[in-house]
Amino acid sequence: MTALEVRNIVKHFHSSSHAAVNDISFELYEDEILALVGPSGCGKTTTLRLIAGLERLDAGMIRLNEQVVASESVFIPPERRGVGMVFQDHALFPHLTVYDNVAFGLLGKKAEEIRSVVGDMLHLVGLLPMSKRYPHELSGGERQRVALARALAPRPVLLLMDEPFSSLDADLRTEVREHVRNILKSIRATVVFVTHDQDEALFMGDRLAVLNKGELEQIGTPEEIFHESNTRFVAEFMGGSDFLKGRVVQGGIQTEIGLLNQTVDLPLSTPVEIALRADDIDFEIDGSGNSLIVGRFFRGAFNLYRLRLSSGQILHSFTDHTKILPVGARVQARVIAEHSLTVFSG
Amino acid sequence: MALFVAVPLVYIFVRALGAEPEAWQRLLQERIWKLLGNTLLLVLAVTGGALFTGVSMAWLTERTDLPGKRIFRWMLAMPLAVPAYIGAIVHLALLRPRGGIIPQFLESLFGQPVVTPSPIGFWGATFILTLFTFPYVYLLSGAAFRSLHASLEEASRIFGRTPLQTLVHVTLPALRPGLLAGALLVALDILAEYGTVALLRYETFSSAIFVQLSGRYDRSAASVLSGVLVVLAIAFLWGELRLQGQARFTQMESNWRPAPPMPLGKWRIPAFLIVFGVVSASLLVPFTVLLFWSIQAFVDPETLSTLFRTGSQGFGNYVWNGLWSSSAAAVIAVGLSLPVALLSVRYPNRFSKFISRFCQVGYAIPGVVIALSLVLLVNRALPFLYATPFVVVIAYVLRHMPQAVRASESALNQLSPSLEEASRTLGRTSLQTLIQVTLPLILPGLLAGGALVFLTSLKELPATLLLRPAGFDTLAVRVWVWAGEGFYHQTAPAALLLVLVAALPLSFLLRREQIFK
Repeated sequence: MTALEVRNIVKHFHSSSHAAVNDISFELYEDEILALVGPSGCGKTTTLRLIAGLERLDAGMIRLNEQVVASESVFIPPERRGVGMVFQDHALFPHLTVYDNVAFGLLGKKAEEIRSVVGDMLHLVGLLPMSKRYPHELSGGERQRVALARALAPRPVLLLMDEPFSSLDADLRTEVREHVRNILKSIRATVVFVTHDQDEALFMGDRLAVLNKGELEQIGTPEEIFHESNTRFVAEFMGGSDFLKGRVVQGGIQTEIGLLNQTVDLPLSTPVEIALRADDIDFEIDGSGNSLIVGRFFRGAFNLYRLRLSSGQILHSFTDHTKILPVGARVQARVIAEHSLTVFSG
Repeated sequence: MALFVAVPLVYIFVRALGAEPEAWQRLLQERIWKLLGNTLLLVLAVTGGALFTGVSMAWLTERTDLPGKRIFRWMLAMPLAVPAYIGAIVHLALLRPRGGIIPQFLESLFGQPVVTPSPIGFWGATFILTLFTFPYVYLLSGAAFRSLHASLEEASRIFGRTPLQTLVHVTLPALRPGLLAGALLVALDILAEYGTVALLRYETFSSAIFVQLSGRYDRSAASVLSGVLVVLAIAFLWGELRLQGQARFTQMESNWRPAPPMPLGKWRIPAFLIVFGVVSASLLVPFTVLLFWSIQAFVDPETLSTLFRTGSQGFGNYVWNGLWSSSAAAVIAVGLSLPVALLSVRYPNRFSKFISRFCQVGYAIPGVVIALSLVLLVNRALPFLYATPFVVVIAYVLRHMPQAVRASESALNQLSPSLEEASRTLGRTSLQTLIQVTLPLILPGLLAGGALVFLTSLKELPATLLLRPAGFDTLAVRVWVWAGEGFYHQTAPAALLLVLVAALPLSFLLRREQIFK
């Protein structure tokens, strides 16, 4: 069932001539986690705040559980939307204990019920022993989990998370996001998750929506987004692609490093660009090869090589960590991808 | 709100422009130029003196290995609790050319009169006012010295600047915002100062207006002079805004470390003596003299009985009047500042910024001008308030409101809006959010604003003198009246109590600052 429906929403800010959010539409199903991802200023946080009711939209419509909560004529204030939110800076109330922070959203419930819900929530996030502490006495990861427990306590129909891990250290982040995803899945929460980090989006989202300059570029599963990018922006943003120029010929695409055996639905001799990731390219040492090694970056389990073709085009290639070749060596590069590559008509 | 501030101000200008041309001409010919020269000269001299004293004291206590600097930090800030006119009373009693305690002592020692520097006139006023206004500069530049990145000065040294060149080319420019703000506070204080200049017989705009109002009761002349004074004050305010606007420094918070203190070497003892001298003149000597006089007052049964007369002439009554009127002003000012601050911080747009800036104007309006405008307005529009203590409270609120607005704004600025948003997503309406989240969190900031309004209202002299109904005496008023009649022993307990009561909110405010913990 559709939990959230966002229809053609538009939001302008006075300070800018561009729309922060320009005609974005998507749907979210129950128990699903949708990751909104894009570079800073792409409109992802504004979209989230429009859903929460912290901003008013200029056009379009937002429906929560079949009920219109925002349109040009309707505005339900945030306290009556029944959505939970985890803020980027956690926004824990510094004057309240962990227990009171989590209980904050349970206004008007019976004391007994509040005690049991808060207990359950703190147990869920593993912070029951900390319930009497104040936010400043907690570590970053613990604060993160209190913020999650507080947002979940009133059983929101939809949970919104605004870059919730960005204030954590890199090594802590991987651990916390796994923990958080497990919690969200265990209670079958419906979540909209905002991040600028592609890795995090691929990890957290059941589906991803990639935003750029206020517009929705593509929405789909992590695999679709990664391997079947609709636009050059998505291919570039989701995983450092190089774009190799080519031309459509009979039986494939002619490129600088040979004929790519992939048919495309384009007229002959159309100029195209092929998105190539570092794992799509391999090379052998060859004195008369088509490229030159211009850099090698040791990445632990593998080496990342930077190759320059004679046209100046740069390609990247992952190789085994034992394959060590000097910078300046001439090599023969080739495409080794076993899946079909994304091609954009140039 | 803005209207509350605007009406008296506009009224002054209406009256000033509406004054008979003859009054204008007379004033222009005889008085205004002389007063303008006197006032500007004093402002210039005191601001310069306060900047020099304040910055050097801050540098010595923050950046060197001066002995006893922790104690000195407190003692250098405390003169803010001493109204300048009380300092002037003490120094005058000590140094008066004829009959002063020190000249008399020297004469009895040497058997003939000895020439001592006189506190009367321009130099005396500059000396006294510098002593009691430099703490503004001291506090602001002290905080700036503390927050300065060590690497800034280190970089300058590496690029070949000497320590002195570094101070002039790097450190002081980086302190500029704090110094400008401090200079503005001092300059506005001097424009508004009445008690000290009157005692030391140096005529400025404020004292001239006071005389016109209380003695000759010439309201037209007073309005004209007030108009000029307000224009002057607003010019200072505008100048500071202009200069400040160009001087915005960002400092990275991360990796901050304080610069190591500079060893003074053989200058340690002289530096200590200099700081001790400043602290003595501005705090220790006034305090000791007042204490000594108070003891004498308590020993002498006659003085004691005049002091503690019962009823509306009693000591307890002065204390109570001073306390309640200042507290009421503090509560009202904070209460009114809250909507202004909420509007300008949470909904920043041109209109709300304008309201907030406009409420700051009261700052630039000297007490005598506030008094004049209220006398005129209350007579005409609100006659039922005439000759009640409430007019005094209104004057305090008008004059000290900006401090409350600034305190509320800075408290709100430090509060992340996501806290309020979190409360909204957790089911609270905006009013519930204000009461349950915003207010408890900004309460310390509001209290600080209230403490500041209380402190400055308690010290306020000219507005109280001009507006009080007959029989409404505050501590400040009594100190002034008794001292004017030469009853120093009788004055002392009231003055001492006033200083001590003012010291309480001041120490609360200082404790909020990191450096005084």
